[in-house]
Amino acid sequence: MKSPTVKPPVVLMEDVVVRAGGRTLLAVEHFAVHAGERVALVGANGAGKSTLLALLAALALPGAQVQGRVQVLGRRVDAPQALSRAQWRAWRAEVGVLMQGLHLVPRLSALDNVLVGALARPGLPAWRSWARLYPAALRAEALQALAGLGLAAQAGQRTERLSGGERQKVAVARLALQRAPLLLADEPTAALDPASTALVLAELRHLAEAATLISVVHDAALLPALAERVVGLAGGRIVFDRPRAVLDAEQLRGLYDPRLDLVAAN
Amino acid sequence: MLNATLPGPDRARLGFVALVLAYALLVAACAATLAAAGDLSLGRQPWDNLLRSLAEFSRPSFLDAWFGPERLEYRSDDGTLLRVENRREVEAAWLAGLGRATWVTFQIATLGTLGAAVLALPLAVLAARNLHAPWPLAVAARRLLDALRAVHTLVFGLVLVGIVGLGPTAGILAIALHSAGTLGKLFAESIESLDRGAVQAVRATGATPLQVFFQAVWPAVLPQAVSHHLYVWEFNIRDSTILGLIGAGGLGLLISEAVSLFQWGRLATLIIVVIALVVAFDALSRRIRTALA
Repeated sequence: MKSPTVKPPVVLMEDVVVRAGGRTLLAVEHFAVHAGERVALVGANGAGKSTLLALLAALALPGAQVQGRVQVLGRRVDAPQALSRAQWRAWRAEVGVLMQGLHLVPRLSALDNVLVGALARPGLPAWRSWARLYPAALRAEALQALAGLGLAAQAGQRTERLSGGERQKVAVARLALQRAPLLLADEPTAALDPASTALVLAELRHLAEAATLISVVHDAALLPALAERVVGLAGGRIVFDRPRAVLDAEQLRGLYDPRLDLVAAN
Repeated sequence: MLNATLPGPDRARLGFVALVLAYALLVAACAATLAAAGDLSLGRQPWDNLLRSLAEFSRPSFLDAWFGPERLEYRSDDGTLLRVENRREVEAAWLAGLGRATWVTFQIATLGTLGAAVLALPLAVLAARNLHAPWPLAVAARRLLDALRAVHTLVFGLVLVGIVGLGPTAGILAIALHSAGTLGKLFAESIESLDRGAVQAVRATGATPLQVFFQAVWPAVLPQAVSHHLYVWEFNIRDSTILGLIGAGGLGLLISEAVSLFQWGRLATLIIVVIALVVAFDALSRRIRTALA
């Protein structure tokens, strides 16, 4: 469907196997995502969705061994020694991650937490970022990001005093300021009520206009808002990979069939 | 056998009863042995002594600086005039000395606590479990902090007076050594309470190590460190009032003087000064600590 382009894919995984404690968490022969795509990863708990996302975000997988080739934004991320520290930082700045484990900084205001997203911007003098004395234009941008998610009034509040849903929105605003070309979102609306879900989905859709978005989704109702392509995982393997338009509900339900784990394990 | 058949909560209750019984036995043993040795007595005239002391206590000596007799005559038994003194002048001079001693006490507490913080910081960094210092260093730092905490300021003071001589230096060093143990443990705990998720999140935006430090570590650890420092400082102002007892300078020297000479009026003045100093500093420090929380 997609015509071959000269540009390399944003994400390329080949013959990747992740093992931990004698268990295979992930076994992917080939998986590629091209610039501008919006991909959703679906599957039951333990299917390997979060492992896949953590691998792409180069987050530590405690006690896991990784084999194969993982390439993100043109850089090999399966071999930590291949990149210098500065190259790693430059790469992290280009990958925006929205995950449960990536907390907001307690004691800092919501606004200061949003501004954390802009720390790697080239024009920002180091001393300003150390003292948290940001240029007015940047502060205005952060405030606008919060206002867009309905949090203008909470901008000055410390984040430990915000509700779970408000925190998730602050994390989305932080992601917005990062302006990353690749976005990885693990259940971006898990803690949100319906109204907030709509706001966050709209913001993610807006961010994805200028970026590639890979998200982990549990709720099939969210698929239309987040993805054109759906990748089903079971027992660490890709079971299907197809456009959302031709996906049927039966296929999605089959993913959560407990018997599938046994099939994939063999 | 019996324990094994009982359900958990019942066993816990039985354990608590046993604990209370053991405690009661211990208290009885302490009291009985003291009484048997004849050491549990209130002296020969406790009541008279109490009333006499109270009478003198109720007239703190500082009042003499304004209301004392200007011509106090000391006479021998046969009526010969030995000496005349102006109580107001004598007391005013003593109060000036008291002011200096109070300042010395404050100096000892302040410099001692600062010294403790400087000593404690590297030890805390080594001892904090989440920073994963090489284990021999980490264990050594933890044991050293335990040891410093176990030895009382007064004991350090006694040893140091023998080494650096009488005066405030011994007091400052004594406080620095003992409080380093306390502060080091508190600092290590505040480093351990750092939110790793927040540190990871800041790093994930491509921040430099210094940015990670100033954005995620500094804001969490600094207010706690300042608060702990104030708390220990507060504590040391109380502690340094008695350091003078062993010759380490400050109010304690005047206290031991007043007690040795049975000058209860002066002791009353001293106690008033100690209370005012400690209460005022506690109030100030508590206000700052609440503002930081």
